[in-house]
Amino acid sequence: MASKLYAWLDSRLKLKPVKDTLLDEPIPGGASWIYVFGSATLFLFALQAITGMFLAVYYAPTPDHAYDSVRYIETQVLFGAFVRGLHHWGASAMVVVIGLHMLQVFLYGAYKPPREAMWIVGVLLLLLTMGFAFTGYLLPWDQNAYWATQVGINMAGGVPFVGTFLVKVMRGGEMLGALTLSRFFAVHVLFLPATIAVLVALHMFILRRVGPAGPWSGGLDRRGKRPESSPAPPRPEGQPSPPSGERRARRSEPFYPRQVFMDAVVMLGVFAVVAVLALTVAFPLADKANPSDHSFIPVPEWYFLFYYQFLKYMEGPILGPIATWVIPGGFIALLLALPFLDPSKDRAPSSRRTVLGLGALFLVGVFALVGLSLHDLQEMKRTDPAVASGKALYDQFGCIGCHRVHAAGGSVGPDLSYVGDHRDRDWLIKHFRDPQSTSPGSIMPKFPLDERQLTDLTAYMLSLKKGA
Amino acid sequence: MEKSEGQAPDGARRSFFAWLIMASAGLIGISLAVPLGGYVISPALKRREKSWVDAGPVGDLPVGEPAQRDVVMTLADGYREIAAVKGVWALRRETNDVTVYSPICTHLGCGFRWDGDEKKFKCPCHGSMFDTEGKVVGGPAPRPLDRLPVKIENGRLMVQYQEFKSGVKAQEEI
Repeated sequence: MASKLYAWLDSRLKLKPVKDTLLDEPIPGGASWIYVFGSATLFLFALQAITGMFLAVYYAPTPDHAYDSVRYIETQVLFGAFVRGLHHWGASAMVVVIGLHMLQVFLYGAYKPPREAMWIVGVLLLLLTMGFAFTGYLLPWDQNAYWATQVGINMAGGVPFVGTFLVKVMRGGEMLGALTLSRFFAVHVLFLPATIAVLVALHMFILRRVGPAGPWSGGLDRRGKRPESSPAPPRPEGQPSPPSGERRARRSEPFYPRQVFMDAVVMLGVFAVVAVLALTVAFPLADKANPSDHSFIPVPEWYFLFYYQFLKYMEGPILGPIATWVIPGGFIALLLALPFLDPSKDRAPSSRRTVLGLGALFLVGVFALVGLSLHDLQEMKRTDPAVASGKALYDQFGCIGCHRVHAAGGSVGPDLSYVGDHRDRDWLIKHFRDPQSTSPGSIMPKFPLDERQLTDLTAYMLSLKKGA
Repeated sequence: MEKSEGQAPDGARRSFFAWLIMASAGLIGISLAVPLGGYVISPALKRREKSWVDAGPVGDLPVGEPAQRDVVMTLADGYREIAAVKGVWALRRETNDVTVYSPICTHLGCGFRWDGDEKKFKCPCHGSMFDTEGKVVGGPAPRPLDRLPVKIENGRLMVQYQEFKSGVKAQEEI
C-alpha cells in the first residue's frame, strides 16, 4: 500500500533524486553516536512546537486569565498536566542537548573554515532559544514568572543610553502588565517560531552545501585506533596534522540507514526521558502574580542559575553593568567571532590546546557557579508551599483584623504568634470548619474554606512556633 | 560477519534498520497522538453539571397562566465562572403542581413568548405555536416544548436548568 502510493507519487513528482539527496548524504568517517545532537535538538524543537500549539488551545494571554487558563490546563484538561510537562521539560532538555551539540562542534573544530556560516547561524539559533526561554517563562503569570521576568527586563536597563528605552519597549510601557504579557506571547508563539524556522532551514542548507565535518584528520579515530591504511606517523609536538581529505574519502557512509537509525534511537530516548519527567515530576504553578508583593524572591530556571549566581558577585555601579550587559554582550560577540579568531583549518585537538583550554575553563566556571548556586539555594530556608498559601489565606480573609502575629494585628481574638505550640492539627481543622465546635461562644466567624484551604491555613498556624 | 563500518548495510540488515527507525518514530508518534487527542477533545467529554436553582416563591405564580421567571446560575465557562440568567416559563396548574418549560423553541432555538389573548406560546422566528401543555399547535416545531425538572422546597420553586438540541424530533440533552 505504502510502496504503491510512493510509486504513484514518484512517477509524478520524481522523488528519487530528492530521496537520494536526503538519505545518501555522505557521513565522513561513518555514522557515529557523537553526531546525534543536532538531530536531537531538531526533534526537541519539533516537540516544543507541537506541545506549544496544543497549549495555545486553552491558554489566554491576559493578566486576568493567563494564570487561570494554565491552572485549568494543569487540573481540568485531560492529559493537560502531561502536555504542559512535556513543554516544560522539553525546554530543559533542549538546553542540555544544545549544550552537547555545541560542545561536540567545538571539540571537533567543526566551526572552522569552511563552516563559519553554519556556526554563526547556530549561535543565532542559540540566542533565539534563549529568547523562547525568556518570553515563555512569563506566560503562566504566576509569582515566579512575574518576578523573574521583572528581573530579566531590568537587566536590560543597564545598557548605556538606550537602557531605559529598551526596558519600556520590552514591557510595552511603564509597567509589567497586560501589554507585556501580550507582546511576550506574540513573540513566543509567532515572531520567534517564524524566525527560528528560517534559521533552522538555513543551518541545514549550509550543512548540506558544505557537508558535515566528520572526524579530524591525523588524530585518533573514535575507537581510539589509528586508521589502518594510513597509519599516522608519530608527529613532533605542535606540528600541524596532515590535511583532511584522505580519511574522509576512504571511509564514508551514507546518512541512511545507520546514522538515521542512531538519530531515531536517540530521539526516542530523549522523548522517553522528557515524557517520564513530565509524568513524574510535577511542575506546579506558584501563586498568581501579585505585582504588589515585593517580598517574593524569584529563582530562575536551572539553566540560568550560573548567571544568577554570577550576578550575586557582581554588584555595584561598575561591576553591575559589566555583569548585566558587558560580559553577556562580549560573550555573544566572542561566540560569533570564534571561527575568525581561530581560523586555522587544523581541527585536531592536539594542535588546538589554547582554544580547548579556554573552553574547558569556561565550562568549569559555569559548573562551579551552578554548584555554588545550588548550595546557596539549599541553605535558604525553604518555605513549605502549604504554609505560604496558608499565610496568603490569612491575609486574604483579614484574620489580622482580630488576631495578632508577632505584634502585628488586632487584639480581639487570641494572639497567634506561637499557636503552633499549643494547638494540634485536628483541633485547628475542626476549629476552622466550625469555630463553635471547639470554642463555644466564640465570635470567630465560619469562613468558607475548601479542604485544601483548610489544610493550608492549618499548616501556616502549625508553623507559628517558638524557635521556628 | 561484521561488515566494515565504512560501507552502508544492505539487504536484510538495511531493512532491519529501516524497521527499527519506523518503530522508533511510530512509538513517539503514538505516545504523542493519544494524549494530544484526548487533550483536545477533553471539553467535549465533560457533562454539564446539574444543580437546582431558585426560581422564586411558588405562591406568587398565577394559577393557569404561564409566567416567566428568571433563574440565575453560575456556569463554568472553561477557566471562568460566569453568572447566567435564563428566563424559564412556569405554569402553575394547582397550588403545588408547577410545570416549567425551557424558554428555547424546539424548532431552531429562538426565545418564544406567551400570547395571553390566544393562550398560546408563540415563537417570533418561524411562527411555531404551543399550547399550555407544550404541545405543538402550529408552525414547524418538531417536538413539544422541553420540560425542566422541578421541585418545590419551602415554598420556593426549584428548577434544574438544561438545554436540549433544537430542530430534532427526539429530546436530546446537550
